[in-house]
Amino acid sequence: MNQYQIDGKLKTVLLGMMGLGLLCLILTFAYDDALHTRFWSNYLHNAVFFTGIGFVSLFVMAAFTTAWAGWYTVVKRVFEAYSLFLIPGLILMLVVIVGMWGGLHHLYHWADDKAVAADPILQGKSSFLNKNWYTFGTLIIMGIWIFFANKLRTLSVEEDMSGTPDYNHHKRMRIWAAAFLPIGGFTSAAIVWQWVMSVDAHWYSTLYAWYATVSWFVSALALIILTIAYLKSKGYLEEVTVEHLHDLGKYLFAFSVFWAYLWFSQYMLIWYANIGEETVYFRERIDNYPVLFYGNLLLNFVLPFLILMRNDTKRKYGTLIFVSLVVLFGHWFDFFQMIKPGVLHTAHEALAHGAEEGAHHGHASAPIGFLIPGLLEIGTMLGFLGGFLYFVLNRLSKAALVPKNDPYLEESLHHHT
Amino acid sequence: MSAAVSPIREPLIQGSKTYHQITEDICSPTERTPSMTWIIAFMVASAGLALYVFCLAWTIWVGIGSWNLNRTIGWGWDITNFVWWIGIGHAGTLISAILLLFRQRWRTGVNRAAEAMTIFAVMCAGQFPLIHMGRLWLGFFIFPYPNTRGPLWVNFNSPLLWDVFAISTYFTVSLLFWYTGLVPDLATVRDRAKGLRRKIYNYMSFGWTGAAKHWQRFESLSLVLAGLSTPLVLSVHTIVSFDFATSVIPGWHTTIFPPYFVAGAIFSGFAMVQTLMVMTRKVLNLEQYVTLEHIESMNKVILLTGTIVGVAYLTELFVAWYSGYIYEQFAFYNRVMGPYWWSYVGMMSCNLLSPQIFWFKKIRRSVFWTFVMSIFVNIGMWFERFVIIGTTLARDYLPSSWSYYVPSWVEIGLFVGTLGLFFTLYLIFSRVAPVVAVAEVKQILKVAGDQYTGPNAHKAHHAKGAGVHH
Repeated sequence: MNQYQIDGKLKTVLLGMMGLGLLCLILTFAYDDALHTRFWSNYLHNAVFFTGIGFVSLFVMAAFTTAWAGWYTVVKRVFEAYSLFLIPGLILMLVVIVGMWGGLHHLYHWADDKAVAADPILQGKSSFLNKNWYTFGTLIIMGIWIFFANKLRTLSVEEDMSGTPDYNHHKRMRIWAAAFLPIGGFTSAAIVWQWVMSVDAHWYSTLYAWYATVSWFVSALALIILTIAYLKSKGYLEEVTVEHLHDLGKYLFAFSVFWAYLWFSQYMLIWYANIGEETVYFRERIDNYPVLFYGNLLLNFVLPFLILMRNDTKRKYGTLIFVSLVVLFGHWFDFFQMIKPGVLHTAHEALAHGAEEGAHHGHASAPIGFLIPGLLEIGTMLGFLGGFLYFVLNRLSKAALVPKNDPYLEESLHHHT
Repeated sequence: MSAAVSPIREPLIQGSKTYHQITEDICSPTERTPSMTWIIAFMVASAGLALYVFCLAWTIWVGIGSWNLNRTIGWGWDITNFVWWIGIGHAGTLISAILLLFRQRWRTGVNRAAEAMTIFAVMCAGQFPLIHMGRLWLGFFIFPYPNTRGPLWVNFNSPLLWDVFAISTYFTVSLLFWYTGLVPDLATVRDRAKGLRRKIYNYMSFGWTGAAKHWQRFESLSLVLAGLSTPLVLSVHTIVSFDFATSVIPGWHTTIFPPYFVAGAIFSGFAMVQTLMVMTRKVLNLEQYVTLEHIESMNKVILLTGTIVGVAYLTELFVAWYSGYIYEQFAFYNRVMGPYWWSYVGMMSCNLLSPQIFWFKKIRRSVFWTFVMSIFVNIGMWFERFVIIGTTLARDYLPSSWSYYVPSWVEIGLFVGTLGLFFTLYLIFSRVAPVVAVAEVKQILKVAGDQYTGPNAHKAHHAKGAGVHH
């Protein structure tokens, strides 16, 4: 079974998930504050999370191709399909952009002209943090990413049809992949600053872009492992053995540790230097969002570290699927933690300025949907996940599961760790 | 190890070697009298070492006043050299541990020399914080133990102390790792030797007989050490970066420092490996073991890490502006446009710009360009540390304390002297131990020898390409 087809039952489930997501978004919108803060922050959170998974899949695939990695050839098509999610990802981000120009949301402090006029720090940043940069930066950068994703995918599928013994397609892929690495490396940082870091418009950290990107990478790995496990349960991907699983598990383990390393580096340095403009970021989270702050570490470091440390847990479906579910949720939770407090703060300020007299600073405990993800957030996430999988599995069904003319196929088929 | 090899992989051992020839080629340099090149190189290197001893004695006798440090510039060439050397000392363990985890077969050609180099570089690095203390004979104060000075404890909150632990642990584990790998090879040398030489090598190889049980123990020890060194190699430069980043000094306090220092360390480490291997393979006739394929792979790592470092430079520059924090902005303005602008230009051009020529395959595979670039990177990475330390301290808080720092002859002599120390140790190493891991190269012969894989293998096995199945 080298040709995947979405079966009817799965289609129903995924459509159901999307329906649930839509329902949750509508409910969130209906029972929201005047700025629809919860609705828009949920939307941004999921759009950024799943688009990032698409980006990082492309980036990792380019890295594997450049590094002559042979082992992953039998699961390469899953990475390819994931990278194509950048196309719907762009549409998702366009909604945020349209909302910004239309004044429909108040996600970004810097997008509020009145606030900027009264704020010298935001004025200083305004040549980067402005609507034009956000719009055209997103369009151009994502356009480039999509171009590379398409290029690599097209060459890979062409190789199936008309691969030659001199591996001409593969050689061309290698050039495109290598060219993408610096481009992806530079542009992803700019995108992370714009999309995510700027929700806390005053705050800054040089490590932030790498931290967020690694969070995406672990999410992508977890979701890829889950996808592979599902496909195997349906009888596809017979060539994928426990050895490939073991390597994916090692990546999951290693990059969970690496994520923790970046988390610690950022936190410790800011804590140690104790500069108010920087510590406020963590102060806010520790004081007002303790579940997010500590939960983040538990889900994304403690659990994967302890469970995946052993050799055999990386070679068994049960444990690997469990950890993948934990860290997939965990990194979704991490992005929640990155986005929500800043957005809520911005909204509070804006609402307080709107009603000058009744303004109360130093807000009480944040509501559900900010303090922790509520049921509506979980439902929205399932909706986006359903949409993501629907698109990705659809792409997966458009080409053979195993690229038969890939020069590394033999290595991957005989892979053992 | 997987037996299927992709037809597009280049062979890593050339010349259709047999197992015996491998032993012969790699062990024989230790059995011959040294060549003239070696003797001249050794004389130059030991002259450098003598200079080091002289400048060290001068520093102790006259005191730190013989250096050009002043009130604001408390760290100058000394700490610049320390960070430079410790960065170089990353490649060996990276190659032995992390490339092992990534199953990169080309590591076998260079791991031995790189690990040796790591140890020597860490030894050079360790000199500087000690000398910098001024009273060298009180150096043991850095260790925490109940003492009669109060008792006066070390400051556990200080990243400088974490450095002591990180570097000493790293040195110990790297040394063990290197020596463990050497044991079977030293036994090979012993088996070929006679008389006293045989006795010495027998002692050094712990009576290795090559029994299955020995190999089994060897494998598990190697695995444990690889597991230990992977986090260690990351931790060392991370903690070195903490020396700067935990402070509140603009230009030093930035969160990207830990991963960026690690990337820079790998970058400079590989550059030094290239410098050494290009010479070693030529002098010892090891071109068939350290092939152009190895050199190309290392050049790719240099291109990659150089670009990562470049992303970090630009991120720092951008965020300094973005922060809206005027002191941070000034620190970076000063780096680029201040009196030390030339060191910033040196850093940017050597580390970010010039490695970009490795996008061209021809240059990646050119021994000449590899050597030139490796020197460029070594210089660039030295500048990087000088930019961070020198330019920042020369213009810190009070403009009335600003000054321009130039090293004294003692400081220059100490730096040149550690180069002498480094090369003396490396030259001795190349005489007494096999500079390529004999046993490990033999392990990959069947999957990477040119009689089994690559274009020439087609002729021998015209059945189904070069994929060899066992």
